[in-house]
Amino acid sequence: MIHALVFSTLLMSFASRLTDLNNQLSLFINSVAGRSWLFDNVVAFFLDNDLAKAGVIGCCFLAAWYGGKTTEGTNARRKILITTLIASVFVIGTTKLLSHTIFLPRPDIQTQKIFRLEGDQLVEMKRMPTRIPLDEASQKDYRALLSGDVQTNDLGSFPSDHAGFFITIALGIWLASRRLGLVALGWTVFVILAAKMISGQHTPIDIAAGGAVALIELSIIQYAAQQRFGRLLDKLPPLTLRYSALSSAIIFAVMFEVSSTLTHVRAFFGLLAAVRRHVLFGIS
Amino acid sequence: MKRLSILFVLIGLFFTASCGLQKEGLVLMTDQSYKASVFATNKMGFGSPDGLIWHKGKLYIADEGGSALEVWSKADGLKTLMDSSFGISSPEKLVVDSEGNAFFTDDDVGGLWEVDAGGNRRLVAGRDKGLVYTKGIALAPDGSILVGDGEQHEVFRVTRDGAVSEFIGKEYGITRPEGLVYDDKGNLYIADEEDNVLYMLDPNRNLHRLIDRRDSFSPEALWYVNGLLYIADEHFGKVYVYTPNDGLKPIATFAGSFKQLQGITVDDQGDLYVAVQTDLKHKVGHIIKLSKESTEVAAR
Repeated sequence: MIHALVFSTLLMSFASRLTDLNNQLSLFINSVAGRSWLFDNVVAFFLDNDLAKAGVIGCCFLAAWYGGKTTEGTNARRKILITTLIASVFVIGTTKLLSHTIFLPRPDIQTQKIFRLEGDQLVEMKRMPTRIPLDEASQKDYRALLSGDVQTNDLGSFPSDHAGFFITIALGIWLASRRLGLVALGWTVFVILAAKMISGQHTPIDIAAGGAVALIELSIIQYAAQQRFGRLLDKLPPLTLRYSALSSAIIFAVMFEVSSTLTHVRAFFGLLAAVRRHVLFGIS
Repeated sequence: MKRLSILFVLIGLFFTASCGLQKEGLVLMTDQSYKASVFATNKMGFGSPDGLIWHKGKLYIADEGGSALEVWSKADGLKTLMDSSFGISSPEKLVVDSEGNAFFTDDDVGGLWEVDAGGNRRLVAGRDKGLVYTKGIALAPDGSILVGDGEQHEVFRVTRDGAVSEFIGKEYGITRPEGLVYDDKGNLYIADEEDNVLYMLDPNRNLHRLIDRRDSFSPEALWYVNGLLYIADEHFGKVYVYTPNDGLKPIATFAGSFKQLQGITVDDQGDLYVAVQTDLKHKVGHIIKLSKESTEVAAR
């Protein structure tokens, strides 16, 4: 009993320190925003433009896919990359699940007067002096926040699904090709994720959680692919070589989606959900 | 590799545990003059509340999760006025007349139900009289009760003796009359939660579409007092105040586990009370109070 009490106290103390550290780091990274119109617009460009944001990752993936020097080498790379794509689906599922169980408000939201449930009481949260970037989209979103026109689906930031998804893909590329992987990882961390933190959309803990999910699940799935489903997966890469035109078309479609951060797939699933509601419940 | 994977899993579990956070409720204040506090939790004894109404110092609760109509007062605590043993299942919205008779709808078994001031319970009019999927409810100036039906897309007038007649027919195009309330000029406000429209039926029976913002507005419950129409938005977790001159103004946004707003009412001090269905399936709910910061200071 005493041990449990001591452990829970230590855990709470650790969590509190972690939160403080996270807030300090978040404000430090965000401190560069809202000072230069040019800088903020460049950051916003890399956040909003799919080609600049994720196109680089897609290019690295395709280069790794086609870059084997021998047939065996190509097969080995493709096996890793196929497994990576499978892992990315699991990672997205996990980050979505986590976002439904843990709720941390976005740093830019925390500039406002917020009450958070702690036990049975609503406690006013300490406001974070997050700087708002000067680009048009950020300013528009901030004005919408001040006028209460906010989407409740988009208030939470934990964990970063961008971090989970792109770190999975980048790590997979790194496993297939060290040089291309370093480019993909560097782009993910220093462009995509840094921009998310600079603009106040995510804190380091959101990014770290997304990255941890990516690392854990990719490791497990790569391990399972080697140990349990090795025979099955060994059959796929030779098929991609035999039917190279078809496999190229498929991998293009997949990379197109990766580069657009799965926008079209999400829209497709949204349509499926709407069809389900329409058929089952008659809701239009 | 196997050991490494196990290590990663353990690190992940530790990380999640160290966050020490459950999915939590959050209230984001747009109107900075308000503050939010928890008025009641399940510890009060209710399940998951839907309709709320303050009447003469008592808070009446249509407890959808607990399948009961309840009343709370500071002196007596929570008392059950009617529960599922009388055949009700999912109490939705409610009204209380000046004599203390409480009427409520039920969107599962349908009908209009009453617990009078003496504690007598009855079904005023049921499914057999066409009240199939009853949602919104309002006290009409003539003493009858208006009941919105979400399946038949109509609003019915029900007299105290149980006679049912059509008040707003299908031809008006209201899909789900979830919230109903009269203002002091005889206008009836209607919240259509399915089509995401706030209507107003004027005394000449002309229907006006006051707010029609399908993408970010879905009115669930209404409360009118002192020239102000308060609106609880279920889908977008927002509390608004509406006046014809100023239009729609957000007061607060509810997020996380607080997103499902159901009922709204105002007490004699002007404080707002919002019913939140935190988890209807597991009968968890909160009643959140939104009070003016200045009210608190004045009270001290």
